[in-house]
This record gives sequence, structure tokens and C-alpha cells, in this order.
Amino acid sequence: MGLNRLAARTLAARPLRSLLTILGVALGVGVLSASLTMGAGLETAIGRTVGNAVGSADLRVSSFLERGLADGTVDMIRGTDGVAVVAPSIERQTFLAPITGQPVKGAVTVVGVDPASYALLHPMELAAGAPLRRSDEASAIITEDLAASDGYVVGSELTIQGVGAPAHLRVIGIVPGPGSIAGTAGRSVVIPIEAARSVFGIGGVSRVDIAVASGTSAADVTQRLADRLTAEPYILASPADLAAGLRASTADFQATTALLAAIVLFVGSFLIINTMSMTVGERAREVGLLRAAGATRAQVVQFVLTGAAMLGILGSVLGIAVGAGLGAVIIGSLRALTGFSADVDGVSVSSLVLAFIVGIAITVAAAVEPAVRAARISPVEALRAGLDLPSARRGRFAWLAVVFVAVAILALLVWPRASGTVGADRALAVYGVLLLATLSSPFFLPSLARILGSPLTFVVRLEERLARGSLARDRSRAALTLGALVVGVSMIVGLSWTAQAARERASAWLIDVVPGDDVVTSIRPVDAAEGVRESLAAVPGVAAVTPIGTFDLAVRGVRMDAAAVVGADFLRDGRLTFVQGDRVAALEALDQGGSAILPVAAAKRLGLGVGDTITLALGGGTTLELTIDGVVERSIPGGGGEAILLGWPDASGRIGVAGADVFAVRFAPDAPRDSHVALETVARSLALEAVPLGRIQGAVTDALGRVFGLFDALALVAVLVAGLGILNTLAMGVLERVREIALLRAIGMSRRQASRMVVVEGLVLGLVGTALGAVVGLAVGAVLLALSGGFDTSIALPWASILMAVGLGLAASIVASYYPSRLASRVSIVRALKVD
Amino acid sequence: MPAILEARDLTKRFELGATHVEALRGVTLSVQSGEFVALMGPSGSGKTTLLQLLGGLDRPTTGSVVFEGRDISRLSDDEATRLRRERTGFVFQAFNLIPLLSVRENIALPFTIAGQDANRGEFRERIRDVIELVELTGKERHRPDQLSQGEQQRVAVARALVTRPSVLLADEPTGNLDYTTGGELLDALWRTCESAAQTIVLVTHDARAAAYADRVLVIGDGRIKDEIDLGRRLDHSAAPLIARLAQLGL
Repeated sequence: MGLNRLAARTLAARPLRSLLTILGVALGVGVLSASLTMGAGLETAIGRTVGNAVGSADLRVSSFLERGLADGTVDMIRGTDGVAVVAPSIERQTFLAPITGQPVKGAVTVVGVDPASYALLHPMELAAGAPLRRSDEASAIITEDLAASDGYVVGSELTIQGVGAPAHLRVIGIVPGPGSIAGTAGRSVVIPIEAARSVFGIGGVSRVDIAVASGTSAADVTQRLADRLTAEPYILASPADLAAGLRASTADFQATTALLAAIVLFVGSFLIINTMSMTVGERAREVGLLRAAGATRAQVVQFVLTGAAMLGILGSVLGIAVGAGLGAVIIGSLRALTGFSADVDGVSVSSLVLAFIVGIAITVAAAVEPAVRAARISPVEALRAGLDLPSARRGRFAWLAVVFVAVAILALLVWPRASGTVGADRALAVYGVLLLATLSSPFFLPSLARILGSPLTFVVRLEERLARGSLARDRSRAALTLGALVVGVSMIVGLSWTAQAARERASAWLIDVVPGDDVVTSIRPVDAAEGVRESLAAVPGVAAVTPIGTFDLAVRGVRMDAAAVVGADFLRDGRLTFVQGDRVAALEALDQGGSAILPVAAAKRLGLGVGDTITLALGGGTTLELTIDGVVERSIPGGGGEAILLGWPDASGRIGVAGADVFAVRFAPDAPRDSHVALETVARSLALEAVPLGRIQGAVTDALGRVFGLFDALALVAVLVAGLGILNTLAMGVLERVREIALLRAIGMSRRQASRMVVVEGLVLGLVGTALGAVVGLAVGAVLLALSGGFDTSIALPWASILMAVGLGLAASIVASYYPSRLASRVSIVRALKVD
Repeated sequence: MPAILEARDLTKRFELGATHVEALRGVTLSVQSGEFVALMGPSGSGKTTLLQLLGGLDRPTTGSVVFEGRDISRLSDDEATRLRRERTGFVFQAFNLIPLLSVRENIALPFTIAGQDANRGEFRERIRDVIELVELTGKERHRPDQLSQGEQQRVAVARALVTRPSVLLADEPTGNLDYTTGGELLDALWRTCESAAQTIVLVTHDARAAAYADRVLVIGDGRIKDEIDLGRRLDHSAAPLIARLAQLGL
């Protein structure tokens, strides 16, 4: 017990250093705990979303084609062994006719259900009114949110825009809040399935939810369905599949956050190793006394580790508080980015405990080397003078590598499950680059300090010389401090570069593939016979309008985004960059039918090239053969990736695509300035929305900017921790050199000069750290870009980010040197020069 | 001839928590230009404190220090710094060299601190002269840890002399040296006094060192207990001084 109390007093005797270490641990644990909390929050949200979507269904069969699953298919599902409940439904987006005197509100999602079977799988709690009874009544259930925003009550008449005349239904019930239909932002309407069929003029159903009979496994039913359902393409998914899909959509985000958490923790461990090392070096005499008084080596190790554990506990407790705040910020931004609600329902205790344990473990691990070193101190040696043996410095480095690996293993253990292996390769590569950079930085330190410090010699020669010498005095300590800064700065540069490249790529992508200045979108497929294309083309200033229809296809059993396009329009507008095949021939072939153009990513994935054919399963046992006539670098973006391009003859004639949902509008070069406004007006009159391509680009780059902005903020935490490290190192340097500084003061150095000497030391550290950080950051960025499949030399260097990161790093160094410089200027000459 | 350095009724009191220590209890003394004065006394007698007040390293509680006709006991920090840089030179018991600087760089420090170019003709000459004076020619590029203790202390003396201070203040400069090297250092100090008329105030508890001085002030209990005038002598044997001290019962 006595030793433990002594350990506590040792920490209390150095309040500044203890506080810095605690802060370093706290920031690391904070980011980790926020990342874990976010992961847990996302899991909860995914569970809830999937629960809302499928209710208590075990399987869901969804249609691939616009026209939906045929009645025969639904009957076949119903007749399959082991199927207990079959609940077919239809989902469409449309508009509600406004209540007289009110403006048109946003689109709504209309879900047509069979009330009897739907209720078995999706128990619907009502806030008011009564549930649906029959599948053909003209009634609707709406959400409380929709009722509030559009002014409906139980008994109101609801007018739905359909294919023909608007349908009039009576609101008979209201579900609480935003309702349970995912992705509708609370604007959903549930109506009987027959009513939906007549409103939208369709015969099929969008999907069928299935509950399997008790005693039957979902896997058996899946197999039986696969054997029986051969008439038309479909997707069969279990709730777990849906959850996996949702998880995949947040995987990259989670993986990057986890990587940053690991990095911040790692930077924090620099600080801890450094602090514990300094404490041991400084306390060598005390340790020697302990040994002389009969303390065993084991007791000395215990003495040092106890101190570390105390710091770890305090830091971790504080870190969890920091993490709670940070977690709220991260989840908030995730919601803003994806619209995916990830509320944290209460705190995830397991992630807090995990973060807490990791914090303590890393602190203690970082203290193992100093503890062992302390135990090796011979009493005689220690009592002679304070010491820091050179051999110990090498040990410190070896230990740093060990801690680095330990953090990597810990990071893998807590790696977000959602992301699977996604991002893990990237994380490992980045980690490797950082390890290499940190371990080699001591070799660069002296020469870089000389080169980068040289401009300072013109202004503050003596200070520069002394500062550089001071950095050279304990090179391993300086290198640890430097390493932390290098890591922080490099993450900012690396991530910013990745962000910039992603933004450039996204902008270039749209320009490369969209044959228009404006994009007019519809929430439903618009049949060519409706004359929308002609109406848009008639707007003054419009040079060309081309219809694009997006839909899904099953290629070799895998869902793929597809788009129907007019080849001649793309040819005339000069869009699409061909990697394989002849541009003219390929685009002309599209319009003749039986041809397809693949994006290069899909071509690689499927192992297809020009001249190959793909066979698509169509309804009624028929198939469609398409010849690949071209491979393009980038294609039209779809819901989950890039679309395979088909001609309209195949899309509408064979596959059954009902019409275009996007019109790309090209203005004439001499178009009047208000052309866009005119187009917007015409579009609105047709229940369409016109958006300039620039705004879409802006939205895409904004969204990317927000994601990367968050990552930058996390990397900034690493710079902050590095700043604490610099403060620690400089303060330690001053305390160790009190005598030297006093002597300089005695022979005429002013307080200002003494203080400037420390600031210059911080500045030199900052200069070297940020310079190395910028270079390493570019390496990190190159690795990230290469692994995300797009590094080429044409990507411009992120000068602005480099400048910003360098500025931040230097600012952190200078701010960090403020306190130590004050310490230096306050050194009492008389007291420091007293001979002991 | 007016005194170059005077102390007038100096007291110095150190507050140590609830208690306090009277290090000096009213010291008055004067040092003439070119004089070699030794302050001698046992440990804790206040001689180091007195030296620090004389050199402007610390301020007296009461009384004043007049240096070259100017009261330096109430100088601002900047003024005291300038005084130390330009008018006084210090040598301490611990050699207090900057380990990472070479012999020459250590000696040139006062110029560098003052922002002057130590390679400029006049300064270069001065540095060469003091290096010659302390007999370290050829070792300019050595680091302190490559020198013997006596050599290190001679570097400290050279550094104190390089600015040609009005007064050289030395605090137990031979405290860490053996008999022979201590003797060499004292010889060097005496040479500067003799050849360059350097005023020196030396604090020591060693009669052999004090015997180099023209005048010895014996300090005890914060006061000047006695003054022994030895006069300028080529022979620095400590015997006459020891005999006088014995007469005084010290």
C-alpha cells in the first residue's frame, strides 16, 4: 500500500504533466468511445429500421421489374410448403392533391396492402381512427406527421394523383409520429391493395412478405421458393440481408471513424510513453533510494505501473464524458448526411466499458517499458546523478513499436462489425505508413531541424542554436513528440486529399455522363406517349431533351442498376468516355436493341468485355440476350452503383420499363438567361422537378465535404493531443535545463530571450513535424486513393489543406510552447545556481 | 580613487514559509578599481548572498549596492540583465557550461546573447585573447565533456572575462577542483588582475584561495567580522593569512 500511495504522490507532485497525460488519454478514449457508441447506435437504428420494414416477416420477395410480381407468382408463393402468411404490397411515390387553398406539399409514399395479411406481420398501432378492413375500400391510414403538415384529420378526403383521374379516399386512421415505413420522412399513406392497383394502374405487386410456419426453417422455404419461382426475376431477402445492406451503406463511414479513433489513441500513447519515461528519468534518484532501502525490482515495476494505471483510470473516465459529447456530434452529422436516423437509445454500456478498458490498458502498456527501465536502475548509479541511459532510448523505440502493434490489434478487436473487411485493408495500410514514418522520424530530425530552422538563424540565432541543441539532447523524446505531430498533420492532409479527389471525381463523373445542363426528375416513370419530352423541348432556349429511365436488372442473379437511354442523344452530346468498343457503333447499336454498354467497374466485376453477351431473365420464362458493344469509364449513377446502359427498344419493349424518370435537358449556347426558370415552371406544371446539374454536383460535393469535414475534425483531435505532447516535452526540457537557463540569465540573457528560446524550440519541432506530416499525409492520401481504386497523377495536390494542416500544426506548437516559455522566463537565477 | 563597487548597510532576509532567515545583517564594504578582494567565511555565513547582491543577481531587502557610482539595488529586470551582460562577469562553483556548445561558443555566449556577431574582428580578437589568457589555445572546438574539470572552469573564467567586465565575481571557483588545478585557476585569475587591472571579488572558504587577494573580508553570521589587508604580493603563500585568522580566533 505504501508504494501505491507514493505513486499517487509522485503524480500529484507533477500536476501539469499528470494533467497532460490524463487529457491525452481522455481524448483518445473519447474518440474511441464515440466511435463505438456510434456503431452501437447504428446497430440499434438498423434493427429498428429493418423491424419497421418487414415486421415479423421471415422472408421478403421483391419484384425486379417495374410492373411488379404477377398474381401467379404470389399464388405460387402462397402454395409453397412451409409458408404460413403471405402479405403482398405495392409501393409507389406520388403527390396528394392539395386541400383547396394550400400549396402542393412534397411527394408521399403510398403503400397498398392487403389489410388481413398485412396486419398479421405489421401490427399497426393507431393514434386515432380505425384500421383498414377490406382490400378494396376507398380508405387510407396516414401518419401523424403527414396529418399535421398537410392538414388532414380522420374523416378528411385524400386525393391521390395516379395514372388516370385522381383517386379520392377517406382518411380513417392515423398512426403515431412518422409511422413505420422506412425512408419516407413521415410522409406515407397506407391504402388497400386493390385501391392502389386501380390508382396506379398496375396488376402486379411490389413485394411479398412471408412468415414461415412454425417448425419450418426459413432456409428450407428459401430453397423451395428458389425451385418454384422461375417465371420472373425477383429478389429474396431475409431481415438479416436487409440489415446487412443497410450496414454496408454506413460501413465506410464507420471504418474511417474507427481508424481515426485508433490513430488518436495511438498519438495519445506517444504522450503516455513520453510522460512515463520522463517521470522515471526524473525520479531515478527516488527509485534508486527505494532500491537502496530494499525495494525489489518487482516493487519498482509495480510503483511505476500503479502510477500509470491511476492516470489511465482518470483519463478514461474523463474520456467517456468527452466521448458522449463527440458521439452526439458524429451521430448528428451522420443523420444530416444520410438521413439515416441513428438515435442512441440510452448509452451503450458495453461500448463504454470497452473504451474504458482500452484506455487503461494502453496507458499501462505504454508504461511497461519505463517501469522495466526503472527496475533496472542500480541504486549506486541512481544516487550519483539523474540519468537517462542511451540504451534506454533505444528500448523506448522498440517499445513504441510494440505499443503500436498493440493498438493495431485492439483496433482490429473493436473494428466495427458493420464494415466487415471493408476499410480494414485501407486502415492497415495507413497504419503501416504511419508506423514507418514515426519510427524513421528520429533520423530526419537533426538534418530537417537544421534546414527548416535556418531561416530563424537570421532573426534569433542564439535561440535557434540552443533550441536545436536541446532537441538533439534527448532525441527519442523529441522524436516521440514529433511522431505525434506528424501523425496528426498527416491524417488531416491525407484525408483532405482523399476528400478533394472524391469531390473532383464526383463532379467530373456527372459532367462526363449526363448529356444536359439541367436534370428534370419525375417520381414515377413517364410514358413517352405523355408528351413530356416534347413539352420540355418547347421551352425557349432548350436545345435537346433526352429521356433516361432507371430500373433494376438481375445479371447472373445479382441486382444491378440499369438505365435506358437514347444512344443518338449521347452521341450528339459527346457524353461517355469509352474504354472499350467503338463509340459511334456502340451508341447506335443501343437504339437498335439487343445491345448494352457496361461501366468498366461492372465489366471487371463480371469479367465481361466487348463482344460478350449477357442473358437477362424476363417474365414468363423468356430471356433477353444483350451483346456488349462498349465499356465506358463512368456510367449514369444508380441507387447502388453505376448503371448498365440499354436502349429504349429493349427497356420498354422487352423488359417493361414504363417510361423515363429523368430527362436531361441541354440548353442552346445562346439560350436566354431565364431558360432555367422557364424550364422549372414548365416542369412543375408537369409534376416534375428541374435541377441544374451544378446544384446536383454541389449537393454531392457538399455531402462528401460534410463526411470528410467530420473526419478532419477527428484528425484535429490527434493534432490537439500532439500539442499536449509538445507542451509536455518543452516544459520537461525547461525543467531539466533550469540550471542552464539560469546561467544564461546570469551572463546577460534577458527573460524575453529565455522565453523566446523555448518558443523557437517549439517552432522548430512544429516546422519539422508539419513538414514531415505533410509528406507523410500525401503518402497516406496516395494509399487511400490507390486502395479506393483511383490514384493517378492527374489528381491535383491539396495545397489548401497542406497549408491549413501546416498552419494548424505550427499554431499548436507555438501555443503549446507558451507555458514552458513562461516557465523559462521565470527561472530564478539565484535558486537555480545554488550548488547542491 | 573612488570605489568601483560599494555596499551600504545591506540586509537580506529570506522568507521560508512561516520562518525567515537573515542572510545578511548590515554589510558595508567598498572595492577599488583593479583590486582583488576575497570574501571569506564558513558555510552559511552569507558570502554567496553578498556576492549575488553585488553582481545584481538578486536584490537586497534593505540597503544599496552602488556600482560605478550607480545604485543597482533597485534596477528593473531588464536593466539588471543589461548590467550583467555588459559590466559584470560571473564564475560559479559548478562550471555551468552549455554542454552542446563548443569551448569557443561557450566563451562567445555573452556576445551572442547581446545579438552581436562573435566572428567580427574585435570580438574575435577578444575571444582569442581570453582563450590565451586561460591557456586553452587549441581546444576551441572541444565540447565541455571533452575537457578536464580545471579546463572547464577556465572556460567559465574566459566567458566571464570576454566582455571586459568592470568586476569579475567568482563564487567558490575552485570548490570542485583538485589542489593542482585549483592553483592553476587562481593563478589565471591573479594574472588578469595583475596584467589587465581586472577588479575581482572572490567568494571562498579556502584560505589558500583567499591568499591570492589583496584584501580579505571575513564574513560570519551575515556581517563583516574582520578585514585583513594582505597587499599585492607575487608570493601567494597562505601562511600569513592563516596566521592572521588564527590570531582572530577564526
